[in-house]
Parts: sequence; structure tokens; C-alpha cells
Amino acid sequence: MTILNLKIKILSRKEVTPNIYLLSLAAPAIAQQALPGQFLHIKCSKDNYPLLRRPISIHRVNPQKGEIQILFQVAGEGTKLLAERPVGDDLDIIGPLGNSFKLYPESKKVMLIGGGIGVAALLALGEEAIRQGKEVQVLIGALNKELVLAEEIFSDLGAKVEVATNDGSYRYKGLVTELLEKILEEEALATGLPHQIFACGPRPLLKKVSEIAFQKNIDSQVSMEERMGCGIGACLGCVCKIKGEDQNNNNNGLPPPPYIYKRVCIDGPIFRGNEVVWDDQ
Amino acid sequence: MINNNKPNLAVEIAGIKLKNPVLTASGTFGYGQEFTPFLDLNKLGAIVLKGITLKPRRGNPPPRIIETPSGMLNAIGLQNVGVEALIREKLPYLQRFNTPVIINISGDTREEYIELARRLEEVSPELPISALEVNISCPNVQKGGLAWGIDASATYELVNCLRKATTLPLIVKLTPNVTNIKIIAQAAEEAGADALSLINTLVGMAVDLDSRKPELANISGGLSGPAVKPVALWMVWQVFQEVHIPIIGMGGIMKTRDALEFMVVGARAVSVGTANLVNPRAAIEIIEGIEKYLIENQIREVKELVGSMKI
Repeated sequence: MTILNLKIKILSRKEVTPNIYLLSLAAPAIAQQALPGQFLHIKCSKDNYPLLRRPISIHRVNPQKGEIQILFQVAGEGTKLLAERPVGDDLDIIGPLGNSFKLYPESKKVMLIGGGIGVAALLALGEEAIRQGKEVQVLIGALNKELVLAEEIFSDLGAKVEVATNDGSYRYKGLVTELLEKILEEEALATGLPHQIFACGPRPLLKKVSEIAFQKNIDSQVSMEERMGCGIGACLGCVCKIKGEDQNNNNNGLPPPPYIYKRVCIDGPIFRGNEVVWDDQ
Repeated sequence: MINNNKPNLAVEIAGIKLKNPVLTASGTFGYGQEFTPFLDLNKLGAIVLKGITLKPRRGNPPPRIIETPSGMLNAIGLQNVGVEALIREKLPYLQRFNTPVIINISGDTREEYIELARRLEEVSPELPISALEVNISCPNVQKGGLAWGIDASATYELVNCLRKATTLPLIVKLTPNVTNIKIIAQAAEEAGADALSLINTLVGMAVDLDSRKPELANISGGLSGPAVKPVALWMVWQVFQEVHIPIIGMGGIMKTRDALEFMVVGARAVSVGTANLVNPRAAIEIIEGIEKYLIENQIREVKELVGSMKI
């Protein structure tokens, strides 16, 4: 894996639903090596405001055509500028960054759970799982019908897709984690539980998915998010709490807390659900 | 001057010969290795490593950084591997490069600083350690840090003790969070500092209006980036007029012209900091830019620029 700093061309841009954009980018060197769950660190502006890059998940990879796609929601100044960049413009990116989702060879059946824009980070994984001949079930959560992402794409790939909307405007009414619990009850009786669960979305969703998976004794992997600086492991800005023995002897004589800070950018963004410390923040 | 005759970018700081005046600011360049996919470490004037303490530190809870207009606040809290892991795991890698390595040191107590300095001097014959940068200005830890740097007599005492404890060159990093930086700079010089580096970050905060919560878990953080450049220039200029030891200037250097401005107001070398987080090649681009500037302006030696401001 080589981390590259490149200028890559925007081939197309589409507002798939209000405030959510799909960009296709010409990036053979990224497409050749990108793994499911990795991200790009993108300079959205051409000057110093906003100053920092934005970490954006790689949505889809096409190594044959040398193209990648990103799907992102406009959430602030950086993503707003990114959405306004015209087709043909060059984007300054660093990537591919981060570790990746790990599909185990013995997992015959896997489940992907995406909340809101979190769905964006799961498509490449779904494609890979199907390519490997696994049974793939996808649970998509959204506030309402209009904001349901990638349902058709997943279906076309051959995944079994379920949808939950908070307002009930489409399919299951409620949280996608409630739908998850319901489906796991049913599956347990029918065809058996999935062997792995993967999730990306808001922190409460990841926490709940991890808890449910832990109770059912299913391996879970979640994509974490934190405000990020360099993206390459140098600045230590994007850490999250991970269970582990801290070798820190400098705790004023008190026993060390049972967690360490790991970098989302380089140790993550994918962590096992049961190794994350899901507390306060 | 003939244009194909390359200008001389070399400068000397604290007895260390630098092939060019561009360093990487502590905390923004990790332990150097993180940047090797993007640049040749041999091309840098010097590498200043992430601040180290005697024992490993876990650092502050997240969120640790937040972007602000043309800048950012950070409150990392000196998370680091501790000096023994630095010696064992980080420094050997840097041996293969022909670039001076400067180690930024921090401590809660005077004794910790001294023990750190002694330990690093002990291993310095075998490992790449050219100088120590004494961090007396970290705004993000509860004890030590900034407390030294805001008081002239505390600064004098600490630097003086370190001066007696080690023969390694000492670069004292000053904080801008003071009423009169000249007094602190003078104290450091009198205590035996070989050079000064300034500025560390400016203490600030950011608030999320919707939740009415601070953006940083630490509440306050250190401001860096283009937003602080005018403050940094002014402080370098003030200190330049006050001391005789060389100054490493920093604060919001994003491009070549920023670096040259710092030299004009008195910095003999400069450090690129926050820019590394945005553009991992920033330091190299600035070095190339300085060379181009010297050629275009027919300046033979970069040191001619130092303190050349006309008033």
C-alpha cells in the first residue's frame, strides 16, 4: 500500500438527493489499491479557508476504468465547497488512507448496516463480499424516504436490502438498529445469524450495533469518525478510545485506565465494535 | 551573479549546520517517518520531532482539534510514546538521513526535564540527536508546560538547570501567551539558551452554538495556522531586537513568502507547522521556493535576508 498525494480529475457530479453528492474521479493509482472502508483526505478549498482537508469515504472502486466514486453529504464549509467544484476540476487528495473492513474467508453470510451518509462507506465492501460469493444483507437507515441511499445499487448487486426510515415514510418505521434486532430474531429462527456485521453511521448507531452484535456473539466492525488533522498518523488529532492495557506509568500512582487512544486515520477508521470504549463523548 | 550559480541556503543555528533554513515544527511532523511517502527527509533543514516526555502520555480526550477561520485549535495534550520508546523505536530510523534531528522535550517538573536531557545526551553518540528544543510553552497540559514559559524567573531557572545538565545545544521554545515576550527571551538567553524558537500556539477556544458546548473536550486549545502569522511576525521582530542568539521563527507559514517574511523580521531559520497537516510537501515546496526567490532577486546567501527589514 502506497499513500499518494495526487491531483485527480472530477469526471462527473450528481446531486443524488438534496445535499448529497456523488462524484466520479479519475484515479487509476487509487483504484488499483483501494480497500473497502478506506478514505481519501480531500482539500476542498483552493486557499486557506477552510484550512484542513476533509476525510471522505471511498464509495465505489472501478479498477478496470481507473475510477473511484465518493458519496458525501454537505455538512459544513468544506463539503459545501467540494460539492461546488466543477466537473473537470482537479481535486488535491491524499489516499488511500486507513485500514479496511476485513471479510473473513469462513463468513458465508454478512450484514452491512448504514445510517444516513454512513451507507457511502459500505458499497465497496458489499461489492467485494458478493464477489467472494458471500450472502450479503444490507440494512439502510435514513430519516425519510428521500434520504435513503444506494438501495437500488445494493439490490442490483444481488444483496438483500432492508430499509428503515425514522418517520416511516418508507418500509420499516423506526431506527435501523431496531430493524436489526427484529431481523436477527427472525434470521436466528430461519436461515441462521450472519457471521459478521459491518456498520457505518452516527456514533449512537455504531454503539447500538456493537452491543447487539456482542449479545448475539457476532463479530462486528465499525467505521469510526473524529475530527481529523493530517490523516497520516502524525498529528494525533483524531483519536478514539480503544480498550487495552495502557503502558502509561504516569497516572499519579493510580491504576491506568483500561483504554488507549488510537488514531482513527491510521489505526482505524475500522475498529472491532467490542474494542471501542463507547462512553460519554 | 550568474543565474545558474546556485545560491547558498545554509544557515547555522545553535552550532548546527543546516543545509537550508526550513525546519518542521514539533507536533506537526510526527517522528518524521510518517512523511516519507511524500518527501525526502534529506532535503529538510532539520526535523523537529513530536514533543517527548520521560514517561509515555495518553494525551487529552477527543475532540482534540477544531478548525477555525484560517487556522485550527488543537489540544492533543502531549500524547507521546515516552523517551525510552523514542530511543528504541523512532530515532534509529532517522539515522539513515543526512538531516539534523531536534528533539522537543517537555516535563511536569524541573527534574523531569533534566532527566530527559541527560538520557538523550547519553544516547546521542549513537543516535541522531542534534539539539533539544525545550518546550516551556505547551498550553494543553495541566502541569508544567506553559507555566514555565510565562514567567521570566521560572524560564531562567529551568534553562539554567538544563544548561548545566547537558552539553547538547538548547533551543528554547517561547509562548506568545505573555504580556512581554522580550523579557522571557532575555531570561532564556541569559540562562544559556543557544537559540530560541517562537511562537508556540496562542490559547483560544471554539464554541458550538447549537449545543452550547466547547468544540474541544479540553475546552481550550492552541491556535495555529495562517490566522496567527501577524502575531508571530511581530513577536519574532520584537525578540530579534532584544537577543543575540538565533531565532527559529514560526506561526502560520504556509508558503515561501511567509517563510521569507519571518527571515526579514529576524528569524535565521523557520519552522513549517500546520501547513504539514494540509500539504505534506509544504516544507519542501518552501525550500524550493526560497531558492527560486534568491535566484530571481540575485541574493547569494539566504542569511543576507535575516533581520533585513527596512524601517
